[in-house]
Amino acid sequence: MRKWWLLLVALAMWNLLGYALAVSHSDDSSQTAPVGSTTARIVSVAPNLTEILYALGLEEAVVGVTAGSDYPPSALDKPKVGTFWQPNIEAIIALRPSLVVTLGFAQQKSLVHRLERMGYPCLTIDIWTVDDLLAAIDTLGKATASEQQAGHLIDGFRVRTRQLEEALKNRQRPRVLWVVQREPLRVAGRDTFINELVELAGGENALGPTLHKYPPIGAEQVIASSPQVIIEPTMVEGDPDRQRQQALAYWDRYANIPAVVDRRIHIIDGDIVSRLGPRLSEGIETIAHCLHPDVLGD
Amino acid sequence: MHRILSPRILLLRILAAALLLGLVMTACALVGTEHISLKAALAPADGAVAPNPDFEILVHVRIPRIILAAIVGAALAGAGVTFQAVLRNPLADPYILGISSGAGLGAMLAVISGVTWTLWGRSPIAVFAFAGALGTVWLVWMIGRVTGKFHVTGLLLAGVVVNACFSAVIMFLTSIARSQEVHATIFWLMGNMTEEDFFVLWAGAGAVTAGLVALYFISPQLNVISFGQADAQSMGIDVKKTQLVAFALSAFITAVAVSLSGLIGFVGLIVPHAVRLLLGPDHRQLLPLSSLLGAMFLVLADTIARVAIAPAQLPVGVITAMVGGPFFLVLLVRFNRKVYWLK
Amino acid sequence: MTAAIELNDVTFGYRPTEPVLRQVNVTVESGTFLAVAGPNGAGKSTLLNLLAGLHRPQSGTISIEGADVHSYHRQALARKLAIVRQEFVPAFGFSVTETVMMARTPYFGQLGFESQNDRRIVAEALDLTETTRFASRLLAELSGGERQRVFIARALAQETPILLLDEPTSFLDLKHQVGIYDLLRSIQRDKGTTIVAITHDINLAAQYCDLALLLRPCPGNAPGAAGKSRHYHIAPPSEVFTPKGIEEAFGVRVFSAPVGAVSVILPLGQMARDADRLGLHKDL
Repeated sequence: MRKWWLLLVALAMWNLLGYALAVSHSDDSSQTAPVGSTTARIVSVAPNLTEILYALGLEEAVVGVTAGSDYPPSALDKPKVGTFWQPNIEAIIALRPSLVVTLGFAQQKSLVHRLERMGYPCLTIDIWTVDDLLAAIDTLGKATASEQQAGHLIDGFRVRTRQLEEALKNRQRPRVLWVVQREPLRVAGRDTFINELVELAGGENALGPTLHKYPPIGAEQVIASSPQVIIEPTMVEGDPDRQRQQALAYWDRYANIPAVVDRRIHIIDGDIVSRLGPRLSEGIETIAHCLHPDVLGD
Repeated sequence: MHRILSPRILLLRILAAALLLGLVMTACALVGTEHISLKAALAPADGAVAPNPDFEILVHVRIPRIILAAIVGAALAGAGVTFQAVLRNPLADPYILGISSGAGLGAMLAVISGVTWTLWGRSPIAVFAFAGALGTVWLVWMIGRVTGKFHVTGLLLAGVVVNACFSAVIMFLTSIARSQEVHATIFWLMGNMTEEDFFVLWAGAGAVTAGLVALYFISPQLNVISFGQADAQSMGIDVKKTQLVAFALSAFITAVAVSLSGLIGFVGLIVPHAVRLLLGPDHRQLLPLSSLLGAMFLVLADTIARVAIAPAQLPVGVITAMVGGPFFLVLLVRFNRKVYWLK
Repeated sequence: MTAAIELNDVTFGYRPTEPVLRQVNVTVESGTFLAVAGPNGAGKSTLLNLLAGLHRPQSGTISIEGADVHSYHRQALARKLAIVRQEFVPAFGFSVTETVMMARTPYFGQLGFESQNDRRIVAEALDLTETTRFASRLLAELSGGERQRVFIARALAQETPILLLDEPTSFLDLKHQVGIYDLLRSIQRDKGTTIVAITHDINLAAQYCDLALLLRPCPGNAPGAAGKSRHYHIAPPSEVFTPKGIEEAFGVRVFSAPVGAVSVILPLGQMARDADRLGLHKDL
């Protein structure tokens, strides 16, 4: 019996010692990594953040991006710090960043937690809606001393959306089915930023409110929602005509829904509508073009 | 080769394994996606001018991570040895009594409930997973008691049933939860080695080491129990108490491991067999050496996971499975030569 | 002198309404070799388990060296009783020495290792069972007979005054069967151990045991059945292993021939070659 008590006591003392050490160290630790104060060295952990940074004119300051940051094309030449889902903390540290910019996903939050513990300044930006995007541009502008460019971007965006709004005033909103995945069939629901884009582009979601953001749906719901336009964003490089043929062939099974009857099935570039970044206004206009083809000149 | 174990031989072997572990850990600290030089890392920091990334990476990223891998590897291997002994089943691993689904359920509940408080800096997922793991073992133990006599088969079946039920609940929650939460949970559960802060590592190391030492205390009884409960009973061993202590300790160190790093498979299954093949089934030796070897194995696996497909990282469970799977096949082919299982 | 084993009016059944043993009164003096026989399901293994304290009788007491078996602390009981069960393939490949050493586990030191004394005891046990030459071999490498001797050695290493064995000679060839019985007899003689062995081998047991206990399946629970005939008979083998006794207990016809004080019993069925010629006893 004696050895059990000894073990317990040893464990307790070990923990106390550790606690004491931790407390005594926490005073001097947190300012290990000073900011290299002269030049900004920014690491971006998301493709849309990279786009925003470039749009703010910070191309020089960006020293590292995650794989997948493919716009503007020059971003592809920047050193890589892992992927969006798995940022590589070693690579980030090796770049001696003065600022690390991330989105609000769980892995990135954990990354931020670890970096901040080591003393690296981080900025976490949540971008879930269009308004978030504008706020993000504003925040980034302030954090990088480029408020002016930020202001320009935001204004430019607002102008374009207002122009579009004007052009689309009083027009009837077609019902849109936004197909994220064909097999199994999965669409964008109302509680998504996609829906926001659709509405800004003068349409409305063919589905009513759903439990999930991107619900899988069945044939019944497709028919019941009677969509007038079907939009499929594509991420795949390929012959757009062929993709359209494939889509038409798929949707022919729903011969009676308006979208199929009128052949209003559109394949669009997924990048500009899936990435909440500065090119979003372009994306909105593309969608508007699908919904209201006679609204040109934007 | 079958000299009976003596304290001196055991001590020598433990020291040798510990030394080897130290070497492996040191070597792996110098491996990573970024090339760092030891000299640069150890260069004295000149004031607070510029951060020394080599130092940062070595001391704040790699070493904590390697220590974590060692702790988790030791815990899983030690628990694996114990479960294999008490359940008298060579296919037992630390998760066999439902710990995996219990931890998973705990993690999911933490994510879905949106709880954000932290316990000593540990995220709620880790804490809930720990509680889930322990709670599940308790549940399985209770079911085993109700079905009477702690028959090994009863416990195994209880574990299977609980696993199935909890997995169903997890699937249900997965289907109604928001996708981002689900992704976060699954990602966490797949096994991740991220560096933790000092006290977490310190306390974790202490807990696991204490647990392993305690298991060592009952390893002579484990030897006898692996022959059979009735025999052990008649030789004067308190079988029930030994089982209880063994389960509690193994569940505890497994829960600690899971809360630190998610679910990492194969370590707890393969390492005990490897050591048994090399050195025989005496648990006084099997336990400490499996722990040390488990630590080594996971440190190596994690290092490979870190660099294999840079800049992305493989989940460490992929590496352990890729090594563990073929190894297990070899084991099965060779097992009837050296190691004997109960019919 | 207190008897080594005493069963006082013991009744036990796995289900309370179906007793396997009813009002059993048996006294085994110290140093006696008792053979327990009977048809399947008569309760032989149950009796052994009761003696080992694994079950509680519904009524009556079981005493080991004067004290109720259930009053013993587990380790104290292990110093009184050692059990050798039916053989099975051992798990995980221990050596012979390691196996026998397991009996000494309760006496290990703080760090979990045996002492010089333990080593001596194990060596003696191996010597007595003539298994010393296997000391470093793996248990699973031995033949059935050799393995059985190792398990007996393990029981001996417990250094108990009482040894219980559950069918120690099943699965063994003739030579090893005899060897085991010789061994048991010499243990009894050299150490004064009380031996209780369940056996299917009536003839061999009769040549070695001092007392025989023949168990029959417990009579039914019809009212009035209790108190009728006892379902067991304990006496020297010459009185118990009689042709009539065997025929009644097992429900077979037997051929017998006297050998010293005991008869050799050969059960035969109708299809046996010499059934008619040998004239089986007919008063069943």
